[in-house]
Amino acid sequence: MILYPAIDIRGGQAVRLLHGDYEQETIYDADPLDAAKRWAGEGAEFLHVVDLDGAKAGEPRNLEAIERIAATIDCAIQVGGGLRDPQSVRAILEAGADRVVIGTAALRDPEFLDAMLEAHGHRIVVSVDARAGEVALEGWTEAGDESVVDAVATLSQRGVARFLCTAIEVDGTMEGPAIDQLNEIASATSSQIIASGGVGDLTHLESLASSTPANVEGAIVGRALYERRFTVAEAIEALGR
Amino acid sequence: MTARICILDYGMGNLRSVEKALEHVGATATISSDEGTIRQADGLILPGVGAFPKAMERVRSLGLEELVAKRLDAGIPVLGICLGLQLLFDSSTELGGAEGTSLLPGDVAELDADGLKVPHIGWSPVRWEKKSRLTEGIESETPFYFVHSFAPKPDRDDLLGSAAYGARFACAAEADNIFGVQFHPEKSSAAGLRLLSNFAGICAQAPAPA
Repeated sequence: MILYPAIDIRGGQAVRLLHGDYEQETIYDADPLDAAKRWAGEGAEFLHVVDLDGAKAGEPRNLEAIERIAATIDCAIQVGGGLRDPQSVRAILEAGADRVVIGTAALRDPEFLDAMLEAHGHRIVVSVDARAGEVALEGWTEAGDESVVDAVATLSQRGVARFLCTAIEVDGTMEGPAIDQLNEIASATSSQIIASGGVGDLTHLESLASSTPANVEGAIVGRALYERRFTVAEAIEALGR
Repeated sequence: MTARICILDYGMGNLRSVEKALEHVGATATISSDEGTIRQADGLILPGVGAFPKAMERVRSLGLEELVAKRLDAGIPVLGICLGLQLLFDSSTELGGAEGTSLLPGDVAELDADGLKVPHIGWSPVRWEKKSRLTEGIESETPFYFVHSFAPKPDRDDLLGSAAYGARFACAAEADNIFGVQFHPEKSSAAGLRLLSNFAGICAQAPAPA
């Protein structure tokens, strides 16, 4: 499995949120490029970058920082946060991202999603946030009423090749990923799944590697890396399968 | 003689790692976009990570496109790395398409990875398609480190190396004093250092900058 160290940018800094709550923020790096350099230097192959200000604003707000990361770090990066129109998606790809992650807009605006899949194909990742098995919309502050499994199955049929599935209940807690939920989602699609939320130690990564189907291709790790619970190299080894 | 190699700085690429690798093999490396500095170099490296259209825009706005062409005419060797290799060609399909520097004929297109994950990340054996001073002492099928979604389609005569990822793709090109590699020699351990050392040797033998 692929390790995706997470770099969430808010107000120009690398931060982590608890349960996606903007009020529960910890600042880790004044310059997100420092985080990117650290994770790449430790052997990361793919970075997961989120523009938290953009997620709230509905359009990219940290393009400059994203561009600096993409232009400096020679590992692959995927970027998400508030990408709701073709111009924003294009701006992120032009900034040098290998993939873009779209969330709410993919679920609310099927025409937008179709156009993005047509234009950018496998470079599009659709992010689905789950709270109690249901889809949570709008940067998590809004509740949806569709089950995550149904949403993923429907979107797979539309041609989405890769999903990012975040379990909000465990996100930022380091108490372990929502493996049962992941298995349910993964078995509803043949597309690739990137698991996000809850990783706090190496055993969590080992169980992701051993207890999920093959299409769970990677895991996002945030706080645990920033708090040095383990290194990038140890995480990559734990995810080996 | 120690080769003085200038790594062209247009703001895109992990230039320090290239610089460190060059110094490791005994070359004198500088990172610059200054015309005077570039004109004094025995060899140039065009690095690059990120998106093709933006990179080309920057290369042009800094006047590097013309300058590189002039240095090539003066016999100075140029090595493109990763996106820097792609920029040597006529065009890329990335993000709706953009024109390159046309220093080598051919276009850049998305990898036909046959269902494999793109970007292609990791070590892949590289097969040498012709004999070259750049690859001297490195066996064919030696693995190099890749991170890319696109690759060029050079003319048969310019094809220096290929690798397989789903389908075979061109990963090294050479024509006269123009060289380019899609992989990252600076991240490809001993074989990568040997390639950079070979390039430094080619630069040291090139005509003195004038």
